[in-house]
Amino acid sequence: MRITLYLLAICILLVATAAAQESPYFVTYDHHLEEAGNLEIGISSTTGVPRTGERAFFAPYLELEYGAKGWWTTEFYLEGQSTRGDSTIFTGWRWENRFRPLAREHPINPVLYVEYENVNEATRIQKEIVGNAPPVGVPNSELQQEHAHEVEAKLILSSNIRDWNVSENFIVEKNLSGNEPFEFGYSLGVSRPLATMVSGKPCRLCRENFAAGVELYGGLGSSKGFGLHQTAHYFAPGISWQLSDNSWLRLSPGIGFTGDSNPLLLRFGYTYEIRGFGNKVKSLFRKKP
Amino acid sequence: MNFKTARIMAVNLFLILALPLLISAQESQHQPDPTWQAPAEEAAKTNPLPDKTEAAAGGRKLFLRDCANCHGQDAHGTEDTEAPDLHLPAVQKQSDGALFWKISNGNVKRGMPAFSRTPEASRWQIVSYLRTLKAGSDSTNSEQPESRKPESQKNDPKK
Repeated sequence: MRITLYLLAICILLVATAAAQESPYFVTYDHHLEEAGNLEIGISSTTGVPRTGERAFFAPYLELEYGAKGWWTTEFYLEGQSTRGDSTIFTGWRWENRFRPLAREHPINPVLYVEYENVNEATRIQKEIVGNAPPVGVPNSELQQEHAHEVEAKLILSSNIRDWNVSENFIVEKNLSGNEPFEFGYSLGVSRPLATMVSGKPCRLCRENFAAGVELYGGLGSSKGFGLHQTAHYFAPGISWQLSDNSWLRLSPGIGFTGDSNPLLLRFGYTYEIRGFGNKVKSLFRKKP
Repeated sequence: MNFKTARIMAVNLFLILALPLLISAQESQHQPDPTWQAPAEEAAKTNPLPDKTEAAAGGRKLFLRDCANCHGQDAHGTEDTEAPDLHLPAVQKQSDGALFWKISNGNVKRGMPAFSRTPEASRWQIVSYLRTLKAGSDSTNSEQPESRKPESQKNDPKK
């Protein structure tokens, strides 16, 4: 409880003094898509402090995000999982697409999200929390046998109010593998850069390279039982640090606040952006005069 | 070949085929968009930053980080993206408010991203920097800038 209050205080302090550019969100999406032709390569992980009867886990994942068009971003994931005292396994892949239907900035900017997941039940990256909390104490060898072909859709609503970003995501997911119900979830995020003005001098540790924010995400049950019963919910302050012109570090400790949540989900991510990747590849195939 | 191997191969084949498709989906030609005009009230806004020189120094840093990939390090545009030369009178005659609106909203149909995530003051800093191009450029010079020339016409220092 003391840790929760301490992290909350740090988070409020960071946001209150706020005045960078890359969002500190891990779960929540805003309306900013990848720039057309750019490729982002990200290595992230979710580390879970276990609930009673569960073992700690470490779930790394690789993200390849490409701006196909200004209004269409496509992303491919490969993910794995390692459970303490159990095993390390590959848990599957995901392919997501985000579409921005409105061209200009609006008070509320909608984005449509569609994802196909080919994962097994041992997946622990928790890029979204939907439905009810997973059972505890089941070994990876058993979970790995249960394949899930899932389709997930999100309605992303995002607003920039002065220098603040406020985003709301509404999630619905359906496992096509079995006779399972639709599962629901939500994610909310608020973030802001720590400085609004940029100095002319080069610097790495100055405030202009940081953004801070808070996320709130969790499951909302399923079409068989909609609501908060036996669901996991997290409060997650986060920070992003622009290391160079095209690389970022992000960190977010998610604090579970229901009995079915992990006490702590520690998320860490490093992203490297290859600008003009599409043009570089195209130039390889272009005929030289 | 069992079913699992066939499925893995099918996924790999799909990804290999999908990559060139996605890349070719980008805009290959860029022409000025006549519909991309700032509303009158937005165009009338003035740059609120008092010290334009200091602001422009930060604006240059932001430009090199966020804009130079398409517009070129020297802001003369690049051959690959067809992004416009920002020294041109057609750009420089626009008001500060109009440039601010275009940076903020982008033109996603044409590949210009919206920089609304960048703080408002920082976007004004970019406008301040763009104004320094006007002072430093020779718009009457008809010679094509280096960054816009095709590779074959660029000056080769080794020659």
